[in-house]
Amino acid sequence: MAHLSNQEVQLVRIFSRWIFYTSLLFLYLPVVVLTVSSFNASRFSGAWEGFSFSWYQKLFNEPTIWHALANSLLVATYSSLLATLLGLTSALAIHTYSSRLQKFHLGLLLTPLVMPDILMGICLLFLFISISLKLSLFTVFLAHTTFSISYVTMIIKTRLETIDPTILEAARDLGASSFSLFWKVVLPILSPAIIAGWLLAFTLSLDDFVITFFVVGPGATTLPVYIYSMMKFGAPPMINALSTLILLFTALITIVYYRIIEGKQIS
Amino acid sequence: MRRFREWLLTLPSFGWLLFFFFIPACIVYTFAFKQADITGTTLPGWSFNSILTLFEKQTLVLAWRTVWLCGITTLISIFIAIPMSLHMALSPPALQRKLLLLIMIPLWSSFIVRIFAWKIVLHPEGFVKGALVYFGLIEKSTPLLYNDLAILAVMVYSYFPFAILPLYSAASKFDFHLFEAAMDLGATWQRTFFTVYLPVMFPAILTAGLMVLIPAAGAYVIPEIVGGSGSEMLGNIIARRVLLNRNLPEASAFSLLLSALIFVPAVMISRWRTSQIKRYN
Amino acid sequence: MAASIVFDNVSKRFGPVTAANNVSFTVEGGSFFSILGPSGCGKTTLLRMVAGFDTPDSGKIYIDGQDVTKLPPNQRPVNTVFQSYALFPHLSLRENIAFGLKIAKKDPSFIRQEVDKMLSLIQMEAIADKFPSQLSGGQRQRAAIARALVNRPKVLLLDEPISALDLKLRQKMLLELDLIHDEVGITFLYITHDQTEAMAVSDEIAVLHQGIVEQAGRPCELYESPKSSFVAAFIGDTNFLDGTVSTTGVEEYSQLHIEDFPEVLCYNDKKLSPGELIHLSVRPEKIRISLERPPEHTLHNCLQGTVEDVVYKGDHTKYWVRIGGHRLGVTQQHSRFLLDIKPIEWKDEVWVRWHADDGYILERYDAVDEKLVEAPSEKVGSIEDELEAAEEEAEQ
Repeated sequence: MAHLSNQEVQLVRIFSRWIFYTSLLFLYLPVVVLTVSSFNASRFSGAWEGFSFSWYQKLFNEPTIWHALANSLLVATYSSLLATLLGLTSALAIHTYSSRLQKFHLGLLLTPLVMPDILMGICLLFLFISISLKLSLFTVFLAHTTFSISYVTMIIKTRLETIDPTILEAARDLGASSFSLFWKVVLPILSPAIIAGWLLAFTLSLDDFVITFFVVGPGATTLPVYIYSMMKFGAPPMINALSTLILLFTALITIVYYRIIEGKQIS
Repeated sequence: MRRFREWLLTLPSFGWLLFFFFIPACIVYTFAFKQADITGTTLPGWSFNSILTLFEKQTLVLAWRTVWLCGITTLISIFIAIPMSLHMALSPPALQRKLLLLIMIPLWSSFIVRIFAWKIVLHPEGFVKGALVYFGLIEKSTPLLYNDLAILAVMVYSYFPFAILPLYSAASKFDFHLFEAAMDLGATWQRTFFTVYLPVMFPAILTAGLMVLIPAAGAYVIPEIVGGSGSEMLGNIIARRVLLNRNLPEASAFSLLLSALIFVPAVMISRWRTSQIKRYN
Repeated sequence: MAASIVFDNVSKRFGPVTAANNVSFTVEGGSFFSILGPSGCGKTTLLRMVAGFDTPDSGKIYIDGQDVTKLPPNQRPVNTVFQSYALFPHLSLRENIAFGLKIAKKDPSFIRQEVDKMLSLIQMEAIADKFPSQLSGGQRQRAAIARALVNRPKVLLLDEPISALDLKLRQKMLLELDLIHDEVGITFLYITHDQTEAMAVSDEIAVLHQGIVEQAGRPCELYESPKSSFVAAFIGDTNFLDGTVSTTGVEEYSQLHIEDFPEVLCYNDKKLSPGELIHLSVRPEKIRISLERPPEHTLHNCLQGTVEDVVYKGDHTKYWVRIGGHRLGVTQQHSRFLLDIKPIEWKDEVWVRWHADDGYILERYDAVDEKLVEAPSEKVGSIEDELEAAEEEAEQ
């Protein structure tokens, strides 16, 4: 922790603090505007015509939105679970073995992280076209799993690296076999990271637009794709309400995620 | 036995990514060497025609716009992120966690939603425009939306938090006794910032730049939503070729170009960074 | 000619903690002065106030007669050697040393000349272009000293500079520091928690405890005439005995009544009267131990007891002798190996004696300071408090 208490140095703190909070304002401004306008009774975002829940009410009565939401949740659930499983095995493999195979393995896992979404989307689309797989919610599921694996792997791998190896030695010394070592010692220590990884995968899937847009089939709309199409063809104020709700939901998830991460730092 | 176990553990993720990522990437890059026919399928055989379209004037203009928009976005993001990360590192530990959370929450929330929020903010009938006109900063007729500036603003907004993470990580590991040492030797805090802090943080600054550059280069949604018809970026062209024109080879060619635009700076920065780190470690 | 440092009623608080409490003392120009004290006693704060990183809440600090209390660090004629060395990782050794001179806008040829002089002083000319990460601990320490000294400050501040090195290296570096001090001739203000370090090289020492200067003076003064129980126990080792003055007898000697002991004779320089409570400090090496009854001597105190513990330390042995309700620590140097002398063992009945001049009546006594005494545990778990305290110190 920095102990800069001299007056001159205080200027550094004042300067950086000022920029920080101004930027934070910039970060939250659109969010605030969005939330406020979702309660605006007026159809047009210009004038304020009083507080109203009407857009939220209309939202709940719109079946297409619920359909899109259901699709999103379905895909998110399955893809995040599969991605977490694959992420767990890959992290374990990379951490335990250090062969050339694992070097390729790691490279394969790191590359999606530095690839922009659009390239990812194109790759997957071309694949499905090449193997004549019809675009549907299933292709979305496959796509989401693909890009999520890397994130889960990184989270679990980082946690694995910080496990004190002497704990494992102590367990072996007390008679544990490899199998029970894994189940009774490694997995419990790893569980916060696994959950954090799963949460991240879930959110990434729920939130994804570009990749989904490329591989989605008719009738298999997810929520972000639906919002996009609404945006393109004029923007009914319902979107404001929907967006506000989404923001709230993801804010909650983020807080939960960071609680978990903090928790694991303490242990 | 050990090799068998290793393969067992590795195969699921390795196989998956090989099939759903590596091979598709190969497919895309090979498609660049084919030519599309009018019906939307590809002609058999190989051709450089699709790649040649990359050298047309419009393409180069587009590529240039993408490059400079991304470059400026990266620079602005770094300029904002450096003092922000410094502030976080100088704060007491409990506050640091909260500040990190505050930055992360918008980042985790739906990308589409946040872009949409900007559309509202910059709306010609929105209150931001109204306020700016009221204070005489702009004309009533100046559009805030559908131009390069809008794209720049929204890109900076979307991507600068990515620069904060690596910079914060490095700043929190920075030995602030160096500040005291420099001042003890006669330097003012400004001089210390430029001659001590920034040089030591340089590898992290490069990483932060990369973290912004990569998603910015592939921007598709942002120019699509808040950009005008004259503000297309590479991402838009790729999407258009695929979804509208059904010209997959040309889309592949453009993807190749985009990859090159990302790959070249990425490798250069990565090399630069390793040479910097070698000095101090 | 060399610059003095004067602390004039300096106080500093950090929230509920008082780091400095009306501290006043003078560091003579050109001397090697140490501020000695346990972790958290406020010594680093005092150093930082001289350097300019912290400002006193009240009081003044003078360097060479100039009031520097409110001056920022970059305007003071002092340079600091930090505990973590704080070498600039992105600059070479040469560039590190040149840093201060460059800021002072000195002529480049002058800078090169001075840097070369420093490099030869610390014997690192051959590796001048290496980076801090490529240097060893001892090399980094010398580099930090060179970087500070090249600017010819009036005062050099050293914040526990050798604490990060291992034992043998520490001892060597300490002597090197002494050499450098003699060569350069400027005032050194040295902070440490290690009393053997401070005693070895300092001209004068100030012992600091919870923000208060317990005693300041030459090393031998502090060792032989500690004013308070803290100084007596912190520097070296001692035995604490309390009792009352029973009679004031011959010349300056008084009889003391200590429970379970026969009357103890002691030099009464404090001029105390009968009935007054006293605390006596007797250093273990001043006490003689023997199996036979020693001859009588008017100024010797002789007592009988039983050996409870024997700790062999190579060059000396420490015996813990029980006499009634007290345990006296006695050390015996092994200066000659005499095969026909019977060694003293556990449970032996022995005689201990010390000269009346070797007992010292303390001005201030705090029972807590007894914990600093190097005594073995009496039962399992009795060192809990000390273990906790050590853990807390390590965390800070």
